[in-house]
Amino acid sequence: MRGVIKGVLAEELENSLRMEKEYEEALSKLLKGCLAVRKIRGREYYYLVKRIDKKVKYIYKGKISEEERKEYEKAKILRAKYRKLLSQVKKQIRFLRSSLRGKEAI
Amino acid sequence: MEKKQSELCFEILRRFHKAGILDKLILIGSWCVYFYKDYFTGIPYIDQITLKTRDIDFLIDSPSRIRRNVNIPELLEDLGFVTIYKGSKGYIKLDHPDLILEFLVPEKGKGTDKPIPLPRLGMNAVALRFLSLLTVNIIKIKVEDFNVSLPHPANFALHKLIIFQRRFKEEKALKDRNTAVEILKALVNKGEIAIVRQVFNSMLPKWQKRVIKGLEEIKEKEILNILSASTAR
Repeated sequence: MRGVIKGVLAEELENSLRMEKEYEEALSKLLKGCLAVRKIRGREYYYLVKRIDKKVKYIYKGKISEEERKEYEKAKILRAKYRKLLSQVKKQIRFLRSSLRGKEAI
Repeated sequence: MEKKQSELCFEILRRFHKAGILDKLILIGSWCVYFYKDYFTGIPYIDQITLKTRDIDFLIDSPSRIRRNVNIPELLEDLGFVTIYKGSKGYIKLDHPDLILEFLVPEKGKGTDKPIPLPRLGMNAVALRFLSLLTVNIIKIKVEDFNVSLPHPANFALHKLIIFQRRFKEEKALKDRNTAVEILKALVNKGEIAIVRQVFNSMLPKWQKRVIKGLEEIKEKEILNILSASTAR
């Protein structure tokens, strides 16, 4: 039988591995790209800044609705949050694996 | 991580309070032990040795009494919680690197292996046996400007003594068992033997037998004597 601490750590590792997948999935589901605004003669025009392969492209969107702007804004905030938490989960996995001596099957 | 975890737990409680649903929820699981420290002020207490996991469980005694519509996944989305559907039945959990949030309800009648829908909360709950023991004797602990409902430590400990025998994982059983015994000892030190006996006597005879069997298994004579005296009366 594993000790209590080792049992808890093994369970936490399972949870963290699950979370890693979940955050990667959540990131892939978010709206891609960020909005950039250009002011021309006092009017605002939007571009969607997106990475396509290795290049960053500016895709002209023109005028967009307030709702769409908010959606992109929300996706931007969530993307930053999820990336930070994903990196936290990855650190947890490294720590938990090393605590459980990594090579052991759990 | 410990501090971040507690802060996140408090933020969840704050939001539930603000949304008007906290008074319908009972905090159970290992986080209870963290909040019991106020109850055991001045008594040698076990918080230091109790392992808190990331699971934070909320028990709902009567889901139908929740009148407000509060979409919990949306309420906690900006904190970074992601919604997951566990297993083939689709139990909903909210995951965060610091906490895993889940809702539970007491199992009624023959029970079901399907999740119990909580449409007003945008969640569902797992129905588990013996949880009704945690709903009958509630204490309120003041946190900031609101109260958190917890099962009385006696109910919590006796419940753990029942369920440790049903655990599949031995280390989990050991953890439950140790927590139960330490809490019961803290209650004895606090002079609350009468409450322990009262809770034990209020339990179904079948459940009482399970508690006694559990204590006999671990040869916990001190607690056994206390409970045996109560059954003899």
